[in-house]
Amino acid sequence: MPADAISAKFDVRRWDAVAGGAPRYQRYELELAPHTPILSALLRIRDEVDPSLTLRYSCRSAICGSCAMQINSKSRLACETQVGPEMDRHGRIVVEPMRNQPVLRDLVVDQSPFWTQYDRIEPHLKLDPAHPMPEGRPTSMTPEQVERFKETPRCIACAACYSACPAVEADAAFPGPMALAKLYRFVVDPRDHATQDRLVRIQPNGLWLCLRCHLCTEACPKDVRPSERIRDLKEMAIAVQGGTERGSRHAIGFKENIEDRGLLSEAKLVRQTYGAAGMIGQLPQGLRIWRKKPEVLHKPRRIEGADELDRIYEALDRESEGAP
Amino acid sequence: MLKHEVVVVGAGLAGQRAALAAREAGRDVAIVSKLHPLRSHSGAAQGGINAALGAEDSVDTHIYDTVKGSDYLGDQDAIEFFCREAGPTVVEMEHFGTVFSRSPDGSLARRAFGGAGFPRTIYAADRTGLALLQGLWERLGIEQFTLYNEWDLMRLVVRDGRVQGLVVFDRIHGIFEEIAAKSVVLATGPAGRIYGRTTNAHTCTGDGIAVAYDAGAFVKDMEFVQFHPTALLESSILITEGARGEGGILKNATGERFMTRYAPHVLELASRDVVSRAIVTEVAEGRGFSGPYGGYVHLELMHLGREKIESRLQEICDFSRHFAGIDPVREPIPVYPAQHYMMGGIGTNIRGATNLAGVFAAGEAACVSIHGANRLGGNSLLETLVFGQQAGKAAAEYAAGAPATQLRAADLEAVETPLRAWSSRPDGEDPARLRTEMQQTMERYAGIYRNEADLFEGLKRIRALRARFERIRVVDASKVYNLNLTDAVEVGHMLELAEIIFVGAYARTESRGAHARTDFPKRDDAKWMRHTMAEKGPEGPRLSYTPVAFTRWEPKERVY
Ligand SMILES: Cc1cc2nc3c(=O)[nH]c(=O)nc-3n(C[C@H](O)[C@H](O)[C@H](O)COP(=O)(O)OP(=O)(O)OC[C@H]3O[C@@H](n4cnc5c(N)ncnc54)[C@H](O)[C@@H]3O)c2cc1C
Ligand code: SF4
Ligand code: SF4
Ligand code: FES
Repeated sequence: MPADAISAKFDVRRWDAVAGGAPRYQRYELELAPHTPILSALLRIRDEVDPSLTLRYSCRSAICGSCAMQINSKSRLACETQVGPEMDRHGRIVVEPMRNQPVLRDLVVDQSPFWTQYDRIEPHLKLDPAHPMPEGRPTSMTPEQVERFKETPRCIACAACYSACPAVEADAAFPGPMALAKLYRFVVDPRDHATQDRLVRIQPNGLWLCLRCHLCTEACPKDVRPSERIRDLKEMAIAVQGGTERGSRHAIGFKENIEDRGLLSEAKLVRQTYGAAGMIGQLPQGLRIWRKKPEVLHKPRRIEGADELDRIYEALDRESEGAP
Repeated sequence: MLKHEVVVVGAGLAGQRAALAAREAGRDVAIVSKLHPLRSHSGAAQGGINAALGAEDSVDTHIYDTVKGSDYLGDQDAIEFFCREAGPTVVEMEHFGTVFSRSPDGSLARRAFGGAGFPRTIYAADRTGLALLQGLWERLGIEQFTLYNEWDLMRLVVRDGRVQGLVVFDRIHGIFEEIAAKSVVLATGPAGRIYGRTTNAHTCTGDGIAVAYDAGAFVKDMEFVQFHPTALLESSILITEGARGEGGILKNATGERFMTRYAPHVLELASRDVVSRAIVTEVAEGRGFSGPYGGYVHLELMHLGREKIESRLQEICDFSRHFAGIDPVREPIPVYPAQHYMMGGIGTNIRGATNLAGVFAAGEAACVSIHGANRLGGNSLLETLVFGQQAGKAAAEYAAGAPATQLRAADLEAVETPLRAWSSRPDGEDPARLRTEMQQTMERYAGIYRNEADLFEGLKRIRALRARFERIRVVDASKVYNLNLTDAVEVGHMLELAEIIFVGAYARTESRGAHARTDFPKRDDAKWMRHTMAEKGPEGPRLSYTPVAFTRWEPKERVY
């Protein structure tokens, strides 16, 4: 036992979709060095105290994106969050599953909504037959062009941003921060020839639902800064379609967005054997009932006047960056 | 019952490339993976991927470096093919969408890696694996295929001389399924978790190798285990060569820069095995530091200054701060060698074919062999793609000509019934406990230095653990994502592979590449320039040997 060990108290939310019942918080106490990652602590609990504690994990080095969860109410990677500071700040460590994705068991959630949104932005290069890739050699791309991707290639698809996003919570049709950051990555890729089409099509598909709260950027363990890339997308979308933001807003609106939800399943290229819908059919009643519980539904709807706020922010952003 | 023409197990770089090749050949393809494809361990590779694309470099030099690096145990025909495919493979990945780092002239940036004659390693900042994994997954997304996400391979069904399909476990729903398949590609990746200290992810448990072995496949050269000299103490997260490349130095507890005694000229930049052995020797002879996580030495960067550390070694900085609570700007990093790569695996030919008809393998789970006794950095990412593609193509061709498959309900029951018994025992062995004891045994008896007495003792202990595994008990009764059950299955797989490592290492009375026997310190080409092939027998692994393929390169002593 390290000399500087502290007594760490974990309150872990336990629930099982098949067994059903009410979720409960289980207390575990361990003596740990303050720098111990929360993942290591949870794995020690599994090995020494309670092998039924269930979570996703793999790399333990913040690269596989498996271990995102709510730690003291913030979306974090368990492998990258240390015990000491959490104990100092909160006196205990409350560990809960990510939000905006149905819970399957303990800290494991059904990620199909997240993956579906990722598929939906068509995350692959679209080439123009008139401009094929150069034969036998790589495309030329300067370091400056690589810079334009910003931090988006760092995304590890952990869904911490998706869990933190109030727009996802309010409207499941919203692609979510990760998918939009991914869209940005394709829009700025010099090899991609569908830039215009991507920007036009994302507008009725939820671009404007973003509340600009920056919670995604705060949650992201890889500094991908999705909210900033969403701002860039909005600017580029306006530039492509012409007119003002107000114009694009009116033309598109939320109604179409909701109508568009029908596209979801159709656009899925990768058929997961049990997608979100199949999953609910598979699991017994428990999950369905639980999903309808009020605690999941008392989500902040998009607030009145948010549009106005957005426009002010948008103007400020443009001003500060000297954009037209 | 589910049915596909080609089933690829594992969705890291090797599995995805195989699936793409089989799709391109027009077959109906499914992928089974215990992790979502983007969470595969390939994503953790930082350094880069080799291809002789520079004007001053050549394919022949890449071949020579690989042959020499392998300590002449690599098959030269396979290595020649491999290095020739390197350029086209990297270019293809670029065309698929991978975002590589670039030089000012717009070409792919390259860096120098250990054991290479020229800067030959193409990279994407410090996350090459992630960039490749994203690029390939996004390209694969254009194709139609079925993904069985978070499903575990449990057994291969081989009957009438060929594969009929597989039995899998759906983690989320806790149910067993059968999938009929005309051909199967195993691409289940590394097995590093057999060791307590490993740079590999928790999920790198060698499942595919063990399942293939159970089904009658030859497992090749498993005694060759590469250790990385500098892994963070406690978590064993990799601290890349970059730290030493930028001027980091190693010191023991007396404050001595001990590499001056082991490699007076190149010091910390000596090859991985030399540095690993030096650190182990220092600690064993009492000149290391000691603490609750065992002995270690210091890697010092402080003298480089904050600016250089934070700009050139950012990743290492983050790792030390986040995972060890150490700030390398102000304090030394505690390091010790850790298992890093398995040169061995399911024996295949250049096309990924195993000795079982319809069963193919690729990636770290396979052994072609291009790495021989020692892998060069940057060659394994390339291997996943080159041989992933070959295996996928070959599996597609095989499936096109294969007759209908026959699976029976009994095939599933044969897997499910004993596993259900694990859960109904009133008492028995705990998977976590067996795993810990296995890992300690590997560390102690099959580590960097080996000798006859240790290997004999280690084998005895592993066999005792295997006997205890017969009484394994699963206490978690849930149907949903039962990790207690999958842990138990994985421990069973690892124990099987541990036994193969010991038997192979015990028999190989020489030192070659990563296999260092203190009682046989010399390479013995007359007797041992051959591959170990292990086959499952009633009394444990049965060994046989096959010759190494030679083309143009005569064995020489390996000095750098
Ligand atoms: C820290 C680190 C850094 C590295 N850096 C480099 C580098 O810079 N350059 C280089 O060339 N190499 C590097 N390597 C080595 C290289 O990354 C690996 O050898 C390679 O990525 C392995 O790829 P793979 O496709 O074979 O396996 P993986 O990427 O591990 O994929 C295995 C797949 O199999 C699946 N799977 C496993 N078991 C089962 C089962 N029972 N049922 C179903 N699915 C299963 C997993 O879900 C996963 O999808 C590094 C390795 C490590 C550990
Ligand atoms: S800024 Fe937009 S995308 Fe990000 S969390 Fe807020 S609403 Fe969601
Ligand atoms: S953008 Fe950040 S938080 Fe969101 S999935 Fe990617 S890495 Fe995770
Ligand atoms: S375990 Fe991989 S990101 Fe935490």
